[in-house]
Amino acid sequence: MAEVAVRDDKMMEGPAEKGSGRAKRRAYWAPRFLPLWALIGGAAVIALIGAYPYYGGNEYILSLLGKFLCFAIFALSIDLIWGFTGILSLGQAVYFGIGAYFVALSLKINYALIHPTRYGGKFPDFMEWNGLTELPHFMTPLISTPFAVVCALLFPTLLAFLFGVITFKRHIYGVYCAVITLAESLILQDFIIEYQAYTGGFNGITDYSNYATPAFLWFILAVVVVFFVIARALTHSRVGTVLKSIRDNDVRAEFMGYNVANYRIFVFCVSAFMAAAAGALYAAWVGIVSFLDAGPVFSIEGVIWTAVGGRGTLIGPFIGAFLVKGAEFFLSGTLAQWWQIIVGSLFIFVVLVLRDGIVGSIANFLRARRKGAAFNQVVEEADQKAHDRQLDWSPAGVPADENVR
Amino acid sequence: MLQSIITQFFSGFSVVAILVIAALGLAIIFGVAGVINMAHGELIMVGAYTAAVVGKLGGNTFIAIPVAFVVVGLLGLIIERGIIQWIYDRPLETLLATWGVGILLQTIIKLIFGPELYYVGAPKIFEGGFRVIGRLPFPYYRMFLIVMAILLLLLVYYVIFRTNLGLKVRAVRRNRAISGCLGIDTARIDMTIFAFGCGLAGIAGAVLAPIKSVSTTMGFPYAVDSYMVLVLGGVGSLWGVLSGGALIGEAETILSFIFNNVIGRLLVFLFIVIIIRIVPRGIFGYNERR
Amino acid sequence: MASLLEVKGLTTRVSGFTILNNLDFSIEENELRVLLGPNGAGKTTLICMITGQFKPVAGSINFAGRDITGWAPDDIFQAGISRKFQVPNMYETLSVFDNIMVSLQGRRRVFATLFQRLSGEERDRIWEILEFVELADKASDPADSLSHGQRQWLELGMLIASNPKLLLLDEPTTGMTEEGKRKTAELIRKIAKTHTVLLVEHDMHIVRQIGQRITVLHQGQMLAEGPMSEVMNNETVRRVYLGKGKFQ
Repeated sequence: MAEVAVRDDKMMEGPAEKGSGRAKRRAYWAPRFLPLWALIGGAAVIALIGAYPYYGGNEYILSLLGKFLCFAIFALSIDLIWGFTGILSLGQAVYFGIGAYFVALSLKINYALIHPTRYGGKFPDFMEWNGLTELPHFMTPLISTPFAVVCALLFPTLLAFLFGVITFKRHIYGVYCAVITLAESLILQDFIIEYQAYTGGFNGITDYSNYATPAFLWFILAVVVVFFVIARALTHSRVGTVLKSIRDNDVRAEFMGYNVANYRIFVFCVSAFMAAAAGALYAAWVGIVSFLDAGPVFSIEGVIWTAVGGRGTLIGPFIGAFLVKGAEFFLSGTLAQWWQIIVGSLFIFVVLVLRDGIVGSIANFLRARRKGAAFNQVVEEADQKAHDRQLDWSPAGVPADENVR
Repeated sequence: MLQSIITQFFSGFSVVAILVIAALGLAIIFGVAGVINMAHGELIMVGAYTAAVVGKLGGNTFIAIPVAFVVVGLLGLIIERGIIQWIYDRPLETLLATWGVGILLQTIIKLIFGPELYYVGAPKIFEGGFRVIGRLPFPYYRMFLIVMAILLLLLVYYVIFRTNLGLKVRAVRRNRAISGCLGIDTARIDMTIFAFGCGLAGIAGAVLAPIKSVSTTMGFPYAVDSYMVLVLGGVGSLWGVLSGGALIGEAETILSFIFNNVIGRLLVFLFIVIIIRIVPRGIFGYNERR
Repeated sequence: MASLLEVKGLTTRVSGFTILNNLDFSIEENELRVLLGPNGAGKTTLICMITGQFKPVAGSINFAGRDITGWAPDDIFQAGISRKFQVPNMYETLSVFDNIMVSLQGRRRVFATLFQRLSGEERDRIWEILEFVELADKASDPADSLSHGQRQWLELGMLIASNPKLLLLDEPTTGMTEEGKRKTAELIRKIAKTHTVLLVEHDMHIVRQIGQRITVLHQGQMLAEGPMSEVMNNETVRRVYLGKGKFQ
């Protein structure tokens, strides 16, 4: 049983074997919080991106970098609830969008104060076009951008909490949850379009000062790092193990004393917070926000980035977002319609072939080399079983004993 | 005001009919095969385009219906054999894969037909309407929709509950392993069910085409609505489709009239969420015992 | 002396069927009680009711002096009742070590586990349990790599880790070899020295190996109760459960 110690697993010692005279130590492998290679690699990537303004001069690419980082945070938030908790939310863009709109409105309002409209009004032009004569009263607190940022982070988290309490407490997971979140996203999108006097409607909110500066890029990078560390801490801690046990067998966890709904609500809120932060950063960086950023299409895009990169891996979503979005920006010009065909096929491909995503497949490969193919198969089957249990929780009959369908 | 609401109630019948027609295909696929088909909207769209082609070739809606059934049914067969059959055991991933299929369908149709809108007219005999209560004209075509909805419901009922095929389908749904042991070709049943559901979506498309203009993005709202109908009414039950459609259709019509469209939809959504809290599997779905 | 678990007049209906019918049942502290009965008698349903899975139509369940009727499963667990399922239920992708760790008696609430680190004593306890269920060699393997018998024992280990006052074991030897069953019975007997155990079983050999007091259920009601020799020789029991003829 003496296994070669692998660099990124820390060997934790168990008690020596009783009585037999052999001084054999029982080993238990626990993954390190942050292996050295990840630390170095991560630092390199961050340096690469953050230093771009200094070695590369292309404004367009700079703007893309910031954008992609926001998308990466968005994808990370999806990975947190989907990869680790097993909940597929097709409405994650709701939180992104609300975060983005709060910040965009605030920036736009402030911009308008300095740059009056054609008719001299010191409030956003789209409001004027829609017949408003002044800034609506309920929006005046948004003049304070810090306040707007707080709202941008707080409202989505509260909304997520509400949603969690309503659905998770009644054990509504799986498909029903996915469909309801999808509808939620669509409704928010409709709302934004309809109430165009307050939201800019179809055109969105544009023409306000944006923060696409190198300093802000570093700020976004800092947020990425912080969120990544938080996510890693969450999934590698005791609570992370509990979450994984809930994902594997929520019935067993419930009968072992864990309030499954509470844990899921907790993670859902953290994830919403991250998505909202991503949206807020996005609004500030890009300078344009529209209803598309809150709608179902964007939500599902986030899911596909996570799936391509590797669900449940944390770095996967980062890579997936960069790869897919990068490919889109560089290819969709020349390929036009065909890009959509690639995207559609990508969904199918990821589901049928590349089931663990890029990072996941690499991890499988490495693990197979380390521990043998049979081990890998066991883990994959276990994973599959765990992910299959994302059918709705059903206490009807004896749990997990029969197929209730 | 009350009279207006009653008027809306009657005009809501056609909305209910639309929802039922759209949701039936999905009810089969989702309720019986357990497949979450995110391309349902696009299948309806293809059915509508089929009707447009039939129209261009000189036919009308009555001809378009069986043509669309066959065309979209065959399409469903291809999708099932090519993609779905490998992932029956992974519902959430079926969702993603079918979303991809939906994107593909949209893009391909756009490549073939171009981005402009098409207009499919209702058959001549349905032009015009009659007056219901008050001053609301009720188009004949809407009446036709209500009749279609009832016919389709009866058709599906007949197929599922009165034919041998339906018996086999129900058996496979209950217990796939035993059905296989008893000689039922489960793969064939899966195929048939999926294709049938898609065919129904095609019919829906052909029948709904005259209502709004036909475009590549027309399908998505129908898909979301269909899912809401099933979530509310309960999966795997025809009564579910009917009740879900009825409740949502009427609620949306009346609430949209009182407030506006968007608030109407929001209120209906909240209404559904509240009902789901009480009956998590939908009104006619199988329910928790706790 | 009040019983540890007291069930009074418990009636429950599922899909129109009355499965438990005005059942009175109690267990004393530190007992090892065996629950017998033909299929459909309501044994698993009784366990489901005690652990909070179903709500009764009538009747009450009292545990350690508290009325736990209608409580949620996680609250009932906190009160001190743990349950083993017929089919081994564990966390497949987690390592064996983690399976036990997550089941350790201790804080369960979200914010409590947020900053929790594994203490030395907890670690020792986990290894102790792993040795007890003979899975120490497999500590870092995913739970799914275990054989069926090992999985049953893993789940037993998880239950021991949770240190309940009352252990409900639902046919824990299902699917095991003869040897496995014998060893499991021994294990259960050891566990019963320090915990109260309610064991649902079908296998008569095991019952004979460890049974002290036996309750027989039939059609949702108690048919007989008493020390093994008494119950096994009860005419009605033999007729209902074993069919006419001699008890082997």
